[in-house]
Amino acid sequence: MAGWNGKILTIDLTNQTHEICPLDMEIARQFIGGRGLGVRLLWDLVGPDVEPLSPENALIFTTGPITGSGSQTSNRFNVSSKSPLTGTILHANSGGWWGMQFKRTGYDALIVRGKAKAPVIIEITAQGVEIKDADQLWGTGVFETTQALGQDRNNRNVLCIGPAGENLVRIASIMNDKERALARGGPGAVMGSKMLKAIVVEGDQKNKPADQDLFKFMLYETGKLLKASPLTSQALPEFGTAVVMNVINEIGALPTRNFQQSQFDQAEKISGEEITDTILVKNQACWACPISCTRITKTKSDKQGEGPEYESAWAFGAQCGIDDLDTITEANFLCNDMGLDTISMGNTIGCAMELTEKGLMEAELDFGQADKLLDLIHDTAHRRGIGAEMAEGSYRMAEKFGAPELSMSVKKLEMPAYDPRGMQGQGLVFATGNRGACHEEGNMLGPEVLALPRLIDRFATQGKAGIVSVHQDSAAVIDSLIYCKFANLAVAEEFFARALSAVTGEHFTADDLMMVGERIWTLERLFNIREGFTKADDTLPDRMLSEPVPDGPSEGCTVKLAPMLEEYYAFRGWDENGVPRSEKLKELSLEFAIEAEDD
Amino acid sequence: MIDEKLYEEFRDIGRDIFLTGLTSSHGGNMSVRVGDKIIIKRRGAQFGRLKPTDFVKTRFQGKDSGIVRASTELIVHRAIYEKTSALAIIHAHPRTAITLSLSRDEIIPIDNEGSYFFRKIPVVTVELASGSTELAEAVSEALRGYKIVMQRGHGCFAVGQTLEEAYHWVSALEEVCDIILEASLLGEEMIEYRKHSESYEKW
Repeated sequence: MAGWNGKILTIDLTNQTHEICPLDMEIARQFIGGRGLGVRLLWDLVGPDVEPLSPENALIFTTGPITGSGSQTSNRFNVSSKSPLTGTILHANSGGWWGMQFKRTGYDALIVRGKAKAPVIIEITAQGVEIKDADQLWGTGVFETTQALGQDRNNRNVLCIGPAGENLVRIASIMNDKERALARGGPGAVMGSKMLKAIVVEGDQKNKPADQDLFKFMLYETGKLLKASPLTSQALPEFGTAVVMNVINEIGALPTRNFQQSQFDQAEKISGEEITDTILVKNQACWACPISCTRITKTKSDKQGEGPEYESAWAFGAQCGIDDLDTITEANFLCNDMGLDTISMGNTIGCAMELTEKGLMEAELDFGQADKLLDLIHDTAHRRGIGAEMAEGSYRMAEKFGAPELSMSVKKLEMPAYDPRGMQGQGLVFATGNRGACHEEGNMLGPEVLALPRLIDRFATQGKAGIVSVHQDSAAVIDSLIYCKFANLAVAEEFFARALSAVTGEHFTADDLMMVGERIWTLERLFNIREGFTKADDTLPDRMLSEPVPDGPSEGCTVKLAPMLEEYYAFRGWDENGVPRSEKLKELSLEFAIEAEDD
Repeated sequence: MIDEKLYEEFRDIGRDIFLTGLTSSHGGNMSVRVGDKIIIKRRGAQFGRLKPTDFVKTRFQGKDSGIVRASTELIVHRAIYEKTSALAIIHAHPRTAITLSLSRDEIIPIDNEGSYFFRKIPVVTVELASGSTELAEAVSEALRGYKIVMQRGHGCFAVGQTLEEAYHWVSALEEVCDIILEASLLGEEMIEYRKHSESYEKW
């Protein structure tokens, strides 16, 4: 069927072999691709007995049927694994060019298993698959590695890890196309544990849509809406994702100084407006994207690169009480080069600052202290000094110093740039996140702040569970097609369904896709349950539940999680302990998971 | 049973639907899904004068005593919630839309905003007007791919994540239909200004 290549490439690094298997098209229809295909493959390959950093863990790269089609934002790909940071399902997706290029090699998925004896790279081209020695690249940064392996914008694309991944840092990212990131949950450490430095792709096969007329119509209609939306046609191109910095700060939901406050008095200095006014060189787009939200910036010391995104500017900014945009930007560049998740890195530094402030950790580290940032990032990537503690992520670090409650994380994944006390629905998103506290799994920024699709009361709780569930399912399916979520700011599932129909030649409705989303979400939940996660893990840091916001527009608020969680389980057809009922699994064609439970 | 904020949304939207002529005094109904329950306007309550006691909470699936007081169309609402990702539903009787539904199998907007929102609104035909299994099946199936659907000669069903969103589609549908009707009464040839509008019927 058009859209899918119909092939999965599996590489065993222990034995240095590879094999090509057909993609089960029934699985493709049920899970589409990307994140959905990733969790479905992982379910069979990685059981609860597998340690995340062992050779038995699988690192699964997937594309979707939309990837490489030329539909707006059809550049993305996904990685799935078991997370060394959280122990949960790990999924992360990234833009740029690599995903489109991997699709061109003729595969839908690449499964990497085993562990090489010495550092290697994988090269996949029209000539075949090669595993090559990478001794000379081990220890080098992402930028040098990407250049050394011949990154060539639309023709040859490099994905690699930096020193953080090599040193099994639990918050290490995988980077592609130099500065795009598969960041959350530590995928870089999984890749490092396999002694795999990089994957280079160079393909020549095009993803040609089955119904050209419908595809051209959808291109036109989608383009029209992307142009009409002020978010996708003005806000993101002009100011990047940090356009929301001032907005979130104004409503009192910008976590500040390790979530001790929810407003940062220096927010303007790290905002999208400030970035545009002071350090922006130009904006840039991923492949086939008309939005162009990427910032190319240059600091006073002439360092140039991509970023900072909103989350990164927040992580090294408000979270650490720092307003020095130049240093924040260089911290972002350095994380990209070392291969580190900027959100977890900044959040963990903020946690260390509070541990120090409270006298629990001995370090010369204060909130607002920008001059330590770069050293801390270097030390984390190389596991040196205090960086060795940070390399474990904020939860393990705070636990070691006797105060796990100061880790602002859920399931050990650091919370991103929204204080849920000022956005109740976002609190439920974080608490129930399958990969931990994550804004990409159903962000409530749309309905609770940006009025997308309509503005709802951000402090209300009744009815929130349904909206959260719909957004989670929608995000799961968008991550599986794969589209960029920013396209979803202008067009919704009815567009994605028609584009998928055009590409594959099979008819899909918006609610066919939503059911796929629910199926993916539920299987991820089952994966976590199989790993031993329970209702007790669907929670938030105690600060969010019991420490009222001290001042500002969210003053006095905590997250009223219990009633939302009860409503959430009921909405999803799960029992009171958050376990999907067998009727629900049958409805979602997840019978194979029931059989596994019975075993 | 229904918290104050949700009641206020029902009350305000109900009043607006009635005052803008989108339904008669007692016609139509609306609901929201909360957890595994549906909160739906009771049968016979006036759209423009909803009180906190005018709502029934009933199960999303399976029967309970709530059906005694719930709207006649509860079966349709349940089917929609079961088959789609809707979180709110409004059923109303917009007059011009009903008029157009008598003579066409789909309504294709000619105005810019209506084209932008809908491209096409399907019209389904069922023999029994209200509360039938046949109606529930036809409407819920159509709403898997569309945000609003017309039942020929009866009214529309619109879905959304909130009541406000569903109301928007009802209101916009009637505006679309008013413009089609008025343009046809004018009898002048339309100057096409929308690229690819010939493809709207395939939407």
